[in-house]
Amino acid sequence: MRRIVVATIAGAGLAVWAFPVIWGLLTSFKTERDVLAYPPVWLFKPTLDNYREVIFGASSIVPNLWSSFFVSTSATLLTMLFAVPASYALARLRYPAKRASGFYVLATQMLPPVGLIIPYYLVLQKIGALDTYAGLTVIYLTFSLPFAIWLMVSYFEDVPFEMEEAALLDRAGRLRALWYVILPQVHGGIAVTTIFVFLNAWNEFMFAVVLGGNRVRPVTVAMFNFISVEQTQWAKLAAGAMLAMAPVILIGIIAQRHIVKGLTVGAVKGGGRR
Amino acid sequence: MSSPGGVCIEGVVKRHGATTVLHGIDLTIEPGEFFVLLGPSGSGKTTTLRILAGLESVSSGRVLMDGADVTTQEPGARDVAMVFQSYALYPHMTVAQNIGFPLKMVGTNTAEIERAVAAAAAKVDIGHLLRRTPGQLSGGQQQRCALARAIVRQPRLFLLDEPLSNLDAKLRLETRLELHRLQRSLGATTVYVTHDQEEAMTLADRIAVFMDGRIVQVGTPREIYSKPQTIAVAGFIGTPPMNLMPGTWHGDAVTIAGHRLPLIRVTSIPREVMLGVRPGDLRIAPSGLKARVERVEDLGDSSIVTLMTGDRPLKLKGDRLQPVREGEDVFLGFAPEAAHLFDANSGARL
Repeated sequence: MRRIVVATIAGAGLAVWAFPVIWGLLTSFKTERDVLAYPPVWLFKPTLDNYREVIFGASSIVPNLWSSFFVSTSATLLTMLFAVPASYALARLRYPAKRASGFYVLATQMLPPVGLIIPYYLVLQKIGALDTYAGLTVIYLTFSLPFAIWLMVSYFEDVPFEMEEAALLDRAGRLRALWYVILPQVHGGIAVTTIFVFLNAWNEFMFAVVLGGNRVRPVTVAMFNFISVEQTQWAKLAAGAMLAMAPVILIGIIAQRHIVKGLTVGAVKGGGRR
Repeated sequence: MSSPGGVCIEGVVKRHGATTVLHGIDLTIEPGEFFVLLGPSGSGKTTTLRILAGLESVSSGRVLMDGADVTTQEPGARDVAMVFQSYALYPHMTVAQNIGFPLKMVGTNTAEIERAVAAAAAKVDIGHLLRRTPGQLSGGQQQRCALARAIVRQPRLFLLDEPLSNLDAKLRLETRLELHRLQRSLGATTVYVTHDQEEAMTLADRIAVFMDGRIVQVGTPREIYSKPQTIAVAGFIGTPPMNLMPGTWHGDAVTIAGHRLPLIRVTSIPREVMLGVRPGDLRIAPSGLKARVERVEDLGDSSIVTLMTGDRPLKLKGDRLQPVREGEDVFLGFAPEAAHLFDANSGARL
């Protein structure tokens, strides 16, 4: 009896979670007529026209997928390039105003993004970086870097101090101790952070729609084109959404092991905090 | 060995903010010596070891190795190896990679690393485990791996921070013997931190006893045991530790709770003292200090009797079959030469 109750609750939870995705997937194979049919049709003749249109047609989102990929990848790479040494320093080094600098990093996360849009717009306009990959990438850095630093600090703190001290005594020096001893032990955390940073950038809409333009138009903005005052092209929107989800799902599947490991590490292990 | 490995610590003070951890310690360790830093938790022994390793800076004072001032030298520049309490093995590397790591860091070629790793592993009997990772080793094997990593590059100084504390009692005894044999075969200067006085007594050539950030006595195990210089050392060394009883010393006897107990030393001026008698030196006598038997613990080969004189507990260690019963009143005595006298105010040995 108890198992039935648990299974029912779990099934209901799963349905709530899966319904939008399944509904979107079904919609992407419908004609606009089937989409708007009332009551909704469950049995319909699937079509690939929507995918053909959003891939090869006049409203192709392929350039926008590329745009998203470029901005997300460059923002992720730059973020990790700075975040790894920064979080290592916050976790390990002793220096003046360490606590204050740690709080400052966190404080930048407390600003509501919508309040930053106008200053960002004005700054990018002044330096001629509106609607450029560089401009949008730098803006993405401003919120992904603090996020990544704070996520990774705990991973670095979980590596016992003694292990690094052993490496220092083994004449590794600080940089080689980091490379040979610390980084291999936090690679799960680095992987999970990289994925989250990439996903955040990939799914970002607000900055992209305001600070992008005709040259730099990520897929989240491009999909908005299917919604207009006159009509919403639900089937094409759904097909676009499925395409935009594909890389995210792919990354999720590939990195699933790291994500689970990365999110649970530190939960039971003794920390190296000092 | 790359060099003899003499160590000298001169007036080293260590402060953490407002807290002083080491109050100016001085120590000389001879080349090739097995030197133990012994003391209770928080006495400053591990801090001293970490200062020798270069993992902690000093607030003032100097550290000399083979006559050269290394006070501000980085850990890697000191030519010392350390075995940590937790072993600090690199979990993502195999045993062979762990042992070979110090050599890899100085650019030793692969063939030479392999040869040295095999030799070091053989010395601690883990040659068959080289392909495993630390997670696949038992506690004792991990400890050997950490030892092999320390000896592989033949440093001038070995530092060991309670390396046996994570092992079970039987393995600890075995490893203690092997550690001693290894140190003797390498002839390397070794500084060993422990709070276990039995470990210290069995391993050390000399011991420095730490109390509250100060070295209170340095000497051979025999000296520390037979002539503790302070009440604190007397109460720390020995299992069970020395019995300490306040009394008045006058003439050739000390008076405790109204009983005169004879001594071999004489004083003409009455002095307030603390009398110390090892549990093994205390015995049941026809007359003497009256005490009540609280508990008799049979240890198999011997027994420990807990007695109360007034509100002060005393321990007597003797034969397995003690002719006493719990609750019984007895008299205690000791040979006059077994008495230790300490000044009641300063705690110093008289």
